[in-house]
Amino acid sequence: MALWPFGVHDREHPSLGVVLVVDDEESVRKISRLTLTKAGYEVIEAENGEKAIEVLNAGENPLTVDVILCDIRMPKVNGVEAIHYFQTQYPSVQIIVQTGFPDLNLATSLLKQGIVDYLVKPVEREKLVAAVAKAVEQRTICNS
Amino acid sequence: MKPAASDQSLNIVIVGAGRGGSALIELLTRCKGICVLGVADSNSDAPGLQVARYHYIPTTKDVAWLVAKDDAHLIIDVTGNPEIPPLIARHKSPATEVLGGTAARLIWSLIQEEREMYEHLAHTEKLSTLGVFTAGIAHEFNNPLHIIMGFAQHLQGETDPAVIEEHSREIIALTKRLSEMTKGLNLYARTGQIVETSAVQIPQVLDDAVKMAAFSTILDEVTVVREYGPVPDMQANPSELHQVFVNLIINAVQAMNARGRLTLSTAVEGGYLTVLIRDTGPGIAPQDLARIFAPFFTTKERGVGTGLGLYIVRTIVSKYGGMIEPISQTGSGTTFRVQFPIAGAG
Repeated sequence: MALWPFGVHDREHPSLGVVLVVDDEESVRKISRLTLTKAGYEVIEAENGEKAIEVLNAGENPLTVDVILCDIRMPKVNGVEAIHYFQTQYPSVQIIVQTGFPDLNLATSLLKQGIVDYLVKPVEREKLVAAVAKAVEQRTICNS
Repeated sequence: MKPAASDQSLNIVIVGAGRGGSALIELLTRCKGICVLGVADSNSDAPGLQVARYHYIPTTKDVAWLVAKDDAHLIIDVTGNPEIPPLIARHKSPATEVLGGTAARLIWSLIQEEREMYEHLAHTEKLSTLGVFTAGIAHEFNNPLHIIMGFAQHLQGETDPAVIEEHSREIIALTKRLSEMTKGLNLYARTGQIVETSAVQIPQVLDDAVKMAAFSTILDEVTVVREYGPVPDMQANPSELHQVFVNLIINAVQAMNARGRLTLSTAVEGGYLTVLIRDTGPGIAPQDLARIFAPFFTTKERGVGTGLGLYIVRTIVSKYGGMIEPISQTGSGTTFRVQFPIAGAG
């Protein structure tokens, strides 16, 4: 599968990081892309957990993805199953949950498992950008 | 379906079809061995007359004619009108007994009590189902809210007319989607009252019920097949029919573990409006088939089902003179056949 990151970056203006947005709703992915590309990130999209796993495994170097922004309630492989897979296969990739599903128990459990943040929609863009910046910072610490 | 009068049945004539008479007719039509020969009321719009018509029970304004039926064992007078008892006495057959006055008032009070308890139970079941929907409702509302807020934030300071147009269009479409969802929830959560009858399009109710069922689970892996044959509108309370089909559809989806094919079909069969709801789940175990309509029977895990869903479904279907029947074999899915008599047919 060809990856086509959104956002134009060059040597003078390198991207701040690569974010894989996983959400079954196209408009949610569009909003995340608009927000994150404006903030300086490259964005890759996947419409569900299964596609996200395909995207990660199809890339020549899956570690180019720094952060996964993941929904929970999705068809096929849901967010919880997908996150488990990401954390097992790509432990250094940072995960942020962005969901319409305000579940305190799930949030606590996922935060304990090491996700960076559990954002409940509607999420203001400043909050999303701050969470992604924090995730990229943690990713850098992981790699160093 | 109206049971035929026989030598063994207790044949009853009801005088008065107001709210009390209406509840009385509903209750008596559910009792085995009782045949309601007719219902009389001077008001042709009395709610009980509509209930009687659903069950093919003859209705009339002519009290004298009805009480003169010589195969009537009992006349129940729930009018409370002092002119009625002497009229009945003048026209009834000597062998026919009369239940009226204080005794009829007592029966009326007991039936009202039973009716209110049932309505409370039906509403509780709906609220309990809404509880199961809570997470889904939050998800279904928060997603469009997120997108609306996102587009609105990107509109701030935007100068490109094409982008402004595109984002605005998305916001308007999502606002409409939220509004439709609110309407659906409102229709479902309303309490049912017989006076709220209107001409109901069954295929529309089925489509609305599928939308409600989407709150309980993700339906993306359920293929919904619609085989809607032409059917006449049904005179009924839309909220009650909505409750019937939401329950049956959620059961079907849960039985398939949200993966499989859900077939909804409508047809006219021998004077009946027939609705089939078919799933590709594991089917109902033979030992459970006889018990599924019993109150508080459930095979779902604790906290998921109240055991009242199918009981309420059958009560509502019976109220409209209809029948419901599960057709199931372990391993080959389940079909629920719901049939309502078509007014003027048969």
